[in-house]
Formats: sequence, structure tokens, C-alpha cells
Amino acid sequence: MKKKELKKSRLAALLTHEKWGGVAVPMLAILLALITASILLIVMGKNPIVAFISFLQGSGIVPKAKYGGGQGILTDLFTTLNTLAPMLLASLAFIIGFKAGLFNIGIAGQMLISGFTATVIVGYSGLGSFIAKPLVVVVGIVTGGLVGAIIGWLKYRFNIHEVVASVMINYIISYGTGFFINTYYANMLTRSMQICSPESRLTLMNVQIAGMKCNIPLGIVLAIAAAFIVKFIFDKTVFGFELKAVGNNATCAKYTGINVGRRFIFSMAFSGMLAGLAGVVYFLGTYNTILPKTLPGMGYDAIAVAMLGNASPIGAIFAATLISVFQCGSNYMSSNLGVAKEISDLITGILLMFSACGGYFQYVAQRRVSRERDLLKAAEKEKEGEQ
Amino acid sequence: MEDYIVEMRHITKRFPGIVANDDVTIQIKRGEVYALLGENGAGKSTLMSMLFGMYEPDSGEIIINGKSVKMRSSNDATAHSIGMVHQHFKLVDNYTVAENIVLGMEPKKRALGIFPMVDMKKANEEIAELSKTYGLEVNPTDKIEDIQVSVRQRVEILKMLYRKADILIFDEPTAVLTPQEIEFLLKIIDGLRQSGKTIILITHKIEEIRRIADRCAILRRGKLIDVLDVKSTPSQEMANLMVGREVSFQAHKSEGKFGDVVLDVQNLTVQNSAKFDVVKNVSFQIRAGEIFAVAGVSGNGQTELSDAVYGMLKAHSGSVRLMGKDITDLSIRERCESGISYIPEDRHHTALFLDFTLGENLAIRRYYKEPFSKKGILKFDEFNRNADEVIERYDIRSGQGRKTTVRSMSGGNQQKAIVGREIEEHSDLIIFVQPTRGMDIGAIENIHRQILAERDRGAAILLISLELDEIMELADTIGVIYNGELLKIAPADTLTSMDVGRYMMGVKDA
Repeated sequence: MKKKELKKSRLAALLTHEKWGGVAVPMLAILLALITASILLIVMGKNPIVAFISFLQGSGIVPKAKYGGGQGILTDLFTTLNTLAPMLLASLAFIIGFKAGLFNIGIAGQMLISGFTATVIVGYSGLGSFIAKPLVVVVGIVTGGLVGAIIGWLKYRFNIHEVVASVMINYIISYGTGFFINTYYANMLTRSMQICSPESRLTLMNVQIAGMKCNIPLGIVLAIAAAFIVKFIFDKTVFGFELKAVGNNATCAKYTGINVGRRFIFSMAFSGMLAGLAGVVYFLGTYNTILPKTLPGMGYDAIAVAMLGNASPIGAIFAATLISVFQCGSNYMSSNLGVAKEISDLITGILLMFSACGGYFQYVAQRRVSRERDLLKAAEKEKEGEQ
Repeated sequence: MEDYIVEMRHITKRFPGIVANDDVTIQIKRGEVYALLGENGAGKSTLMSMLFGMYEPDSGEIIINGKSVKMRSSNDATAHSIGMVHQHFKLVDNYTVAENIVLGMEPKKRALGIFPMVDMKKANEEIAELSKTYGLEVNPTDKIEDIQVSVRQRVEILKMLYRKADILIFDEPTAVLTPQEIEFLLKIIDGLRQSGKTIILITHKIEEIRRIADRCAILRRGKLIDVLDVKSTPSQEMANLMVGREVSFQAHKSEGKFGDVVLDVQNLTVQNSAKFDVVKNVSFQIRAGEIFAVAGVSGNGQTELSDAVYGMLKAHSGSVRLMGKDITDLSIRERCESGISYIPEDRHHTALFLDFTLGENLAIRRYYKEPFSKKGILKFDEFNRNADEVIERYDIRSGQGRKTTVRSMSGGNQQKAIVGREIEEHSDLIIFVQPTRGMDIGAIENIHRQILAERDRGAAILLISLELDEIMELADTIGVIYNGELLKIAPADTLTSMDVGRYMMGVKDA
């Protein structure tokens, strides 16, 4: 009994630890999610250990039993990176808005319009690799940034809530681009947008590495770099400090002399820039075409990823990796275990649900820690009294 | 054995990080006025909130009329005939007086013998009758938004009486009232006692206890220090017990030496969001080394006046000049740079980033300038140096020094941080709005000393306060605001607190 109590208080101390709490809380969430998922799988008569290993095998972390011709573990790993790159960028986009108190739910739309614009301007241009690829990145950033800035400006000028504005703009973008794709750029066979040129694509296709065919996403470099840049901006710069200030308390930011409205615009523009980058990495990288009238679900998954990563850019790297592993491994897991693909998606959902409870875990731990501190003080006092 | 109507035995209540009540035992006799005296944060309100069912104690026992009871909600409290007037009134603004009072237990009738309806006519009659019985004059059909603060308080009292409460808890009832209104309230409380009610009065004002209370429990840092018989205990002793050390009641104020005009406000009119004039054609000047105090009942345009001078609100018409320079259309940052510091009324929403560290909060006046940042990159060494200096100089106490999150600090220390930060700017004009609200005697003393020091340094000071004592003690010049107008401006030594109280009620010079 005593031992159990001791373990509990150790856990509480860890969760509330200033330095490690930020890591320990998501870890606990993941652990609880895995336990819950295991129970689910056991009830279904499946071995959870095999299931989790299948996730890792499917996403190229652990080798599979056998591979098809010309494929290997690296093939799967790079496929996962192809999901990870836009996912990380999109969740960084969300984090930037979130820190400034803005809920950018329009990431999906910003991704779509950037992918569309870049495909039209660069994807069909016939430019060479060395010009086309940077140009795609620039077009993506500019387009996404402009859409973000419009949303911020609508909030500043007309006090339109950014969620309302972005949801509306998502529709406009979805149907607007859908119209142009169907009218001018549709591939009659696939009913999708005509594919962009390989020169403009940000993923290098079918590269041979150690005899394995790999699709190498250049976007992953941009994404990791972006995470560190975002971290630097929020930790070290006046600009980031002001964004955080606006997000923490807009009235106090005004009192401090910060031009709050202008910060709204900057923050949404910045958020849109990263969403735009995510868009081109996704539509001219991971894929090479756009389905008309379809917003990428990743734009919404990114919000959950940002939450799992504790809204910190470095946390987002880990969270995005984890979610990408689950998403990319789910096909192999469901076929390997013979369960419906929905079950593997359900497991991802369980994970996200527990990660949303992080604040509650911390609250419970905090209560325990302070109660113990009081008891300790009381005990010390009694001792003093005896002496 | 004594006839105790309420006993709270060995009550302990914890909140994250603090023990709000630590093994507190109080026993209240039927029909007495029992005062709870203590500094802010001493745990008075928490203790009473538990009696009223808003929190449950972690340990301890509540006994009403000799029976142990569990208070799970304020409904339980009402069922045990306990009523409470909160510091911030809980009234529905666009409902009438009677509607507010009967809300939740409306008299019902059946229209056409079928449909249940609220019998407002009966309610109005009942309220009128009740108000006559206790001498609490209200008009049952007035809307709350149209009546004065003191009348709203009467509504709150009637609400308790309508629910047949025998134990009445008053949480700092005089904080929002003028001297005349306080007189009236104390008389009402006395009347309630005579009609057999038991009254618990939460306060940190010793004079009130002197006037009205029979016994007085003193709380300090969550612990019960002593229970005193009011008649046989001198005020000074109560004050000392409450603070835990010797206190002096008077700040030492030297003769004023006034310089040039620093702030010159001419015909200033400010509108609220509904385009209604809340500050009307106000003109005044403040000289260097002068404390200009604005007295008035809460909600008469004080906040809007200070916000307009600082730039949080736009002036509708009129001008604000600082050291001869017109600042009416300047941004807040430009005004600060021209030499204004501002301690606003609402520290949580306006003056602090609660989730930032103390060190960051102490730097928000300068973070964008050298040496706090260079070329847009923040220099945290300078943040730390500045924070340690201000913390030391203003005796700001917190768990982990400059690294403490401001949210976890006590209200008094948060206020010290704001005052310290603003004074350190050494501005030409410092605006203090309610600088000591919710602070204890010791801390008030300290802040008053700092305000006077700034005045003696030659700063112009605009002091806006609801505490008349504070104004009488500090002001060189007093302006009384009523309904958005400055009714009277006069040197402080030509006015008594009774005079000021009269102007606060809107009485004009004949």
C-alpha cells in the first residue's frame, strides 16, 4: 500500500515538474492510449503487441517479414516522411495562430489554394528543377500568407471572428478552385487536376537507395527547419514576445502599447504562410494532383497534432511523427491482423482523445503535490513541538 | 451551555498552492453581529463561502442549530436559512427589483385555471411589504440597471429576507458605498439584529466593527488568531493582531511644492460603446508635485476618464495635453514614451499577463528598447537584472522569484509588481486607479508612501479611488465626479469627507 502511494506521488511530482512536465504529460497520454487500445484489441481477440509492431512495420520503423520487388524498409520510411512533412508544417501553422490567441481553422483551405496556385503557375510551366522547386515554395508561402492576412484583416477591421471567416473562406476556396479545376485543368480520365511536372514536384520520385525505391520528400527539411525557426521567434524575438502577449491577454497587450490589430494580421499571415508551405509540400510533393472540391483532412488533423505536442514547435515534431506513423502504418496493421481499417483509425482517435486530457492530468498531479507539501509541513511542525 | 446558531469546527480548505483555511473553529451566537476581520487573502471569504455552500471543506464540520450539516450548494444553505450578500452583487441587470428578488422561488398562479404563470402582482406587493417592514426602501418595479449601487445592495438584502434567512452574511458590504450610505447600512444591520437575525460581517475596516459588531474573529493567513469582545478591545490592538505587527494609521505627508502644469485636460468627452457620453465635458489641470484625486461612487465615469487620458479609449471631443504637448490623438505607446504611467483598475485584465513570468511582466514597459532587446532579439540577462532589482526594491513576494508565473501570485503582490513597474518609469504623470483595492493595511501603507514619494519627486499624480479615506489622506486637490461630470474641484484642505460625500451623491453648490 505504502509503495503504491510513493509511486503515485513520484508520478505527480514528475507531471508537475517545471522542466519535464511538458514531456511527461504527453507521454502519459500516449501510454494510457496504448493501454486502452490494447484492451480494445484483446476484446477483439487480437494480440496488441503484434498490432503495435505492425504499425511500426507499416511505417518503415521496423522491418516487415517480406517486401515486394525493389521495395524495402526505406521505401516505407520515406512514405511516412512524405506524410510527416506537410503534417508538421500544418501543425506549426496552427501553433503560430494559437500562441497569438487565434484559432486558424482555415489551414485546409490555405493548403488547397496554395497547392492550386503553385500547380497552375509553376506546375505546368516547364521550368527546370532548380528554378521550379524554389518558385513553388515561394508561391505557396505567398498565397497562404495572403489568405491568412485577409482573415486577420477581417478580424481587425470588421471584428469578424477568425473561425467564422476561415470556415467561410474554406468553402470559397474549395468551390472556387473546384470550378477552375473542372473547367480548365481537369484530367478527363481521373476527374482530378492534371498532374504537375516532376521538375516542380517537391518529392523526388523513385530514387534508388541501397536497392530500394524511395520517394524522397524535400519538404521534410523545410518542415524541421521551420519548427526551429518558429521556436526561435517565440522564445527570443520581440515579434514573438508580442504575439504571445496578444494571445495571452489582448487588453493588456493594448495597455502595453502593442498595436493589437496589426499583430492579428501579422500572426494570421505568418500562420497562413506555413499553411501555404504545407499545401505545396502536400499537393506538389506527397501527391502531384488535386481532387476538386476536397479540402485536405490534414488541415484539421494538424490541430490535434499541435495539441498533442503541447502547442510547442519541438513537441509538434514528435507529435506529428507519432501520428504519421499511426496513419501510414494503419494499412499494413489492418491487413496484417485482419481487422477493419477503421480500427486502426480508432486507435489514432483514442490517442488524440487522451492527449486532450493533458491539462486535467496536470491539475490532479498539482493538487496531490500541494497536499503532500502541506502534510509535510504539518509533520515538521509537530516534530518541532515535541522537541 | 451557550446557544450557538452556527458552529464551524476545525475547518480546513486547500486550494492549489495555498491553505485558505487552516483548522479554523468559530462559534456564532444567536442574534449577535459577528465580524470576521482580516487582511485580504486571510481566508474570510473562503470560510463564509463554505458556510454558504459554494465550496466544501476538505475537513471539518459545520453545525447549524446543533445539527451537523453538509453544504453542497447554496440551495442547501438557503434551506438552512442562511443568506449571503456577495461583494459583487449577483443581480440580473435588465430585470426589475421584484423579479430579481423572487427569481428561483416565484409566487405562482394559474392563468385560466390551467397554465402556470409567475404572479408578478403578488410578488410586487410582497416585496413592497417586506421593504416597509425592514426599512429597506426600494421600488419593486425599477430595473436594476437604473438604480444606484446602494439600492442594489438593499435588493440583495431583501433577497435574503424573502428567502426567510435568519443568518445573514455580508461580504465587505461597505466597499462600494459613500459615507452617508454606510451610515444607513449600519443602521439597517442594527435593525436586522434587533428583529432577531444573526449577522456575520466580513470586513477589513475596523471602524465598522467598532460601530456595529458584538464579537470579532481575527483571521490571518488562513488561521484563526483570536476572537475578541469588541467593546473591551482597543482598535489599535485589533489592527495589530490582524496584520501581525504594529501599524500606523497616518501616512506622513509633507507640504506640497507645485511646479508647472503637467496634465491639462480641456472639455474632454468620452463615449462608451453605446455612443452614450460617460465623461462629460471635463476640464482639469494637474501640476508637477500635485496629487489630484477624483472621488466618486463607482461607475460615474472614473474608469473611462483615466482610460481616455492613457489612450485605452478615444476621446470623443476635447483635448489632453501633457507638458504642453497635445497627446489627444497619440497611440498608447507614444503616450507612454511622452511620460505617462498607468496603474489601471482591473489588474488581471489590463495590467498583467497572468501566464507570463514575473520577470517578463516587469519588463513590458521596455522590452522593445535597448538594452532589453537588440535588433528585435530579446536580451534575457537584462530582463533578469531588471526583475531582481524591482522585486528587491518593492518587496514583491512570490514562490520562485522572477520565474514565478504571475497567476500563482497573491493579489497584493501582483499589485506591488504593477506599482513597482510603473513607478520605475519615473514618468511625469502617473495615473493610479484604485491602487490599494483589496490590499491589507500593511501593503496599503506601503503604496501610499510610494505615491507620496513620487509626488515629492515632482510627478503629477492622478489618483482615482472609491475609498474616501484614501482620497482625504493623499489628495492635494480633490475633484468629485458624478454622472460623468466633475461637479467640484477644490483644494483638499477646504473640504471635509462629509462635503465630498455630498458631492458624490450629486448635490451641487447652491
